[in-house]
Amino acid sequence: MRFRLWKDKLVQYGSAFLLITKILVVVLIAVGLTLKSLPLLKNENLWEILSSSVWSPLRGNFGFLPFILGTVWVTVISLIIAVPLCIMASIYLVEFASDRLRKSVLPLMNVLAAIPPVLYGVWGILFVVPILRNYVAPLFGVDTTGFSVFAGGIVLAVMIFPILISIMVEVMQTVPQELKDASLSLGATQWETIVSVNLRKAKPGIIAAVVLGVSRAIGETIAVLMVCGNVPQIPKSWFDAGYPIPALIANNFGEMMSIPMYDSALMFAALLLFVIIFGFNLISRLVLNRLEDHG
Amino acid sequence: MTEKRIVYTKHYVVQLLSLVFVLFTHACAPKPSNNVDASGRLVGNISISGAFALYPIAILWSEDFKALHPDVRFNISAGGAGKGITDVLTNMVDIGLVSRDLHQQEIDKGAYPIHVAKDAVIGTINSTHPNFELIAARGLTQQELVDIFVTRKYKNWNEIDSRFVAQPIEVYTRSDAAGAAETWAKFLGVNQEDLKGIGIFGDPGIAQAIKDRPLSIGFNNINYLFDLKTKLPSSGLAVIPIDINHDGKIDTEEDFYSTLPELTAAVAANRYPSPPARDLTFVIQQEHRDNALLKAFIQFVLEKEQQGYLLENGYVPLNEEAIAVENKKLLTR
Repeated sequence: MRFRLWKDKLVQYGSAFLLITKILVVVLIAVGLTLKSLPLLKNENLWEILSSSVWSPLRGNFGFLPFILGTVWVTVISLIIAVPLCIMASIYLVEFASDRLRKSVLPLMNVLAAIPPVLYGVWGILFVVPILRNYVAPLFGVDTTGFSVFAGGIVLAVMIFPILISIMVEVMQTVPQELKDASLSLGATQWETIVSVNLRKAKPGIIAAVVLGVSRAIGETIAVLMVCGNVPQIPKSWFDAGYPIPALIANNFGEMMSIPMYDSALMFAALLLFVIIFGFNLISRLVLNRLEDHG
Repeated sequence: MTEKRIVYTKHYVVQLLSLVFVLFTHACAPKPSNNVDASGRLVGNISISGAFALYPIAILWSEDFKALHPDVRFNISAGGAGKGITDVLTNMVDIGLVSRDLHQQEIDKGAYPIHVAKDAVIGTINSTHPNFELIAARGLTQQELVDIFVTRKYKNWNEIDSRFVAQPIEVYTRSDAAGAAETWAKFLGVNQEDLKGIGIFGDPGIAQAIKDRPLSIGFNNINYLFDLKTKLPSSGLAVIPIDINHDGKIDTEEDFYSTLPELTAAVAANRYPSPPARDLTFVIQQEHRDNALLKAFIQFVLEKEQQGYLLENGYVPLNEEAIAVENKKLLTR
């Protein structure tokens, strides 16, 4: 008898302990990164390193602006490509497609989600980069090697398709049929109904999907690293090479750990990434809460 | 009753915590326990980490050493030169594999280099480059390479030499911090961070990028540029000969790029400039220089037979004098 109760308690305390461990890990990551970046922050002015665009650590120039903007460029390009496509695709799947098509496409999306990023990177090098260089760039009269933020954006867009589509389809399916019927019975066309009922009702969900997509896009490392050109400059056009923060860390970490300032700079880059993703998720969570309250 | 139960759970938490603690401490690399047992046989562990350039050959060497000394265990991982040095300095491993020159900060902390082999970084172009024969005949001088890779003075090929095509030069460099790029940069008098150009990940990546583009220029390690079976440059790639005496053509004594044995012989005899030829290095801690086991292993690596492996794997063995110098490093205190 006592053993049963004891087991009960064991499960309770055990799970509590594991939960605390899990939360602690996140805190420890933040603390560890901060401690490691302190040498850099003590030597340089924070505003200076965030706003300067000269990156030559061995000479003491730690300009992070090209990396921050590289991350922003690649992420924004991927959203410009992926979001409209995914919204239209999920509208089609929910409103127009037959059940059979919907049931076969959604599992396919999950398969896409399971493909390891390095394969997307290889695909980017073999297909996206040459196509950009030989066919797309000439249309705009630009001369490029193809290794560019545009290529990074395309690869990322394909990588965030699955997560966007699966969430958007889920959300669209929750829009009540009665509302749609009411709109249609007042004489609205299918498209007018979709714009004024479906999309309006599904807005918080769509934003949530985009937030998840962005979180994944900002942190994506190897696939982007393989196609974005890795030139520490501020991109001025879609066809310029860029250099996102995760690529910076992945490229230099193993080689430069033994040089204290360089190591500290890379740790600061990691902290920056952590803060950007954390802050972005926090803000979007607040926005979503407000939307849901009003919705 | 209830109090008792709480006691149990607290006890359990303590146990769980200690288990976690034990696992954590156990996962740390074992300290080198190197010694010679009663019968004079070598016993112990040697852990190694570091540059990808040396990793395959380090494994070969360790297997041969194990055949002679079955009681010695090896633990080898790759992760970049900097990681190797960091691991040595924090006592996580005994030997760091390094494919670039040490920085002063690293030597100040007690890193001690022992060179075990050489290789070279070679300038590469696409073998279908429109001026391929001309480049092979005239070569490029160090200054011309500086103006391509560092200052970007030359945007088009015909600015280097009016006989070349009036097409843009596509410059490729390594995106990952690497010994090869650091060595190439050193040849041009700068650091890797000063090399301009599109950054591609990894040596195979840069080779592939140059194969795909007729107007490109980059650099590779010997063993990625040459096919180890045919001893010729891999298809699609070609060597940029270096015009060492700046006379605008490649003389007979500058012409050693056609096959792998010729090139490695030139590197061994220092006819190919260094840098971009470079030393491949074992880094140990200053105070471990008299450690019997490490000393035995490093001396073994410097023996003729082990050095003989290097050529067939695209590295260059050290010459007699160099081996003598490196061996002395182990004995002097």
